[in-house]
Amino acid sequence: MLHLLRIEWMKVKSYRTFWILLAMTIVSIPGWSYLIISLMNNKFPKSNGKSFLGSPFAFPDAWQTISYNSAPFLFIIPAILVITLTTNEFTFKTHRQNVIDGWSREQFVSVKLFEVLLLSIVCTVIVFLTTLIFGTMLNKVPDGVSIWSGCRFVFFYFIQAISYFTIAFLMALLIKRAGLAMAAFLGYLIGEQIIVGITINLLHSDAANYLPEEVTDSLIPQPYGKKMLTTPDQISQWEHHIPIYLVVALVYLILYLVISRRRFKTSDL
Amino acid sequence: MNILSITSITKFYGRIRALNNVSFEVPPASVFGILGPNGSGKTTMLGIVMDVLKASGGSYSWFGEPASEKQRQRIGTLLETPNFYHYLSGEKNLRIAAAIKGRGAGDIPRVLEMVKLTERKDSKFSTYSLGMKQRLAIASCLLGDPSVLVLDEPTNGLDPVGIAETRELIRELARGGKTIILASHLLDEVEKVCTHVAILRRGELLMAGDVNVVLTNEDYIEVGAGAENSAALQQLLAGLPGARQVRAQEDHVQIFFENGPMDPGEVNRICFEKGITLNHLQLRKRSLESKFMELTDERAAKK
Repeated sequence: MLHLLRIEWMKVKSYRTFWILLAMTIVSIPGWSYLIISLMNNKFPKSNGKSFLGSPFAFPDAWQTISYNSAPFLFIIPAILVITLTTNEFTFKTHRQNVIDGWSREQFVSVKLFEVLLLSIVCTVIVFLTTLIFGTMLNKVPDGVSIWSGCRFVFFYFIQAISYFTIAFLMALLIKRAGLAMAAFLGYLIGEQIIVGITINLLHSDAANYLPEEVTDSLIPQPYGKKMLTTPDQISQWEHHIPIYLVVALVYLILYLVISRRRFKTSDL
Repeated sequence: MNILSITSITKFYGRIRALNNVSFEVPPASVFGILGPNGSGKTTMLGIVMDVLKASGGSYSWFGEPASEKQRQRIGTLLETPNFYHYLSGEKNLRIAAAIKGRGAGDIPRVLEMVKLTERKDSKFSTYSLGMKQRLAIASCLLGDPSVLVLDEPTNGLDPVGIAETRELIRELARGGKTIILASHLLDEVEKVCTHVAILRRGELLMAGDVNVVLTNEDYIEVGAGAENSAALQQLLAGLPGARQVRAQEDHVQIFFENGPMDPGEVNRICFEKGITLNHLQLRKRSLESKFMELTDERAAKK
């Protein structure tokens, strides 16, 4: 795998689009949360110097808040990166050339999936560092609170990121054209939210929570104004569902892997 | 041991049959031409043996072994179009190809020099002309000096000088003992460089073998003695001194000779002595072009 990755590195290291999209991905995570912090500090009403939204950027809630802020809206940029790097191969027909030159189809699809994993790890590390820095520098760590409590949200973020990026990869692999694949990714992102809204509000069913993207979104509940908006019952309900969400997300992930490998290994390139 | 053995390969694109039960063998150190008009299945055939297309039926083996990616690393292949990363320079593209083939970058200057791209090696691929792209693809094939080359329309997009240089390069490689599989719709390209040839038409293999047998360019004699004598006539003609091939047509028999046709009068005399009276005797000249047209003619296919 290391040898394959070294070749992938040769493909991207002088590719400007790769560096721009990667930089945007990395900057967007702290940037977006910082924007929300400044909005909260300057534009939102306060009583006794405290925001009615609570202190979402102080530990322990900072883990949840920054993970929540960084997904899924911010996934659009890295998803474009995944789609670009994959559809480039189809556009240039280099996926054929790589196989002709001596990669197996298995190797080609494996190294691409490994890149999706690496990108998910990079984003997760940025979320982790952003939380540590914002949690300790912009806020005083409250007495008696360990900065690590609540850090499981970063793991949930990772599951969410790898799921979304693998969906982007799958769409690139199936559709092969950059513009259409991006439209499909965005269309599905929005489309699923509409379905979720309809089933919850009109049909009063939570079945839509188990849709491919929503199930990972459900791992990280909305953190703002938690004390006001969320009942203890809802929290325990969510807590109860975490293992189910994780298992369903894993099943989807395995499905994406199986489909993408089978597709690339059996079709005409 | 044959370099490539193809056994009963069939390929469907939806309901279109692109290849039908094609079998042939590529012997070592041959320059093997795959000849056929556009759309006859040449690129499909090569795509299958390079594993970028999946055959609907049949099998193939390289070097007498079942196909694997390790074998492809030992083969220099140019399939259909030059496929490179547009945003990378020619040299960086070759580095990727060399790395995939499991070779170092040390051979890159040599192959760039061979195709005269050294000066432009640092220019982006997207700035190359069609001919330069094709030459870079040829350079990529030559990386690591492979013993087998697969070239699909290698002179595509090249100017006359480039075409001549490429042919000379192919001859030079062949003289060095390499096996070259060359697909082309250009008859004279195949005629000038190939030792063996397979002819495809609409996915059917018409014939395969030694180029001198398949693409006879010499004069031949055509005789006829009526349908009732046809079998006896063929037997007799096959025994003529120097006769290489006897081919029965609808009401004539054609005789091809090893070293030029024998005197028609002599043929007549021998036949007469054996009690066969000819009603048709003609010395014929046939160009390769007409042979190829005949082989690949659509109307002929329907006969």
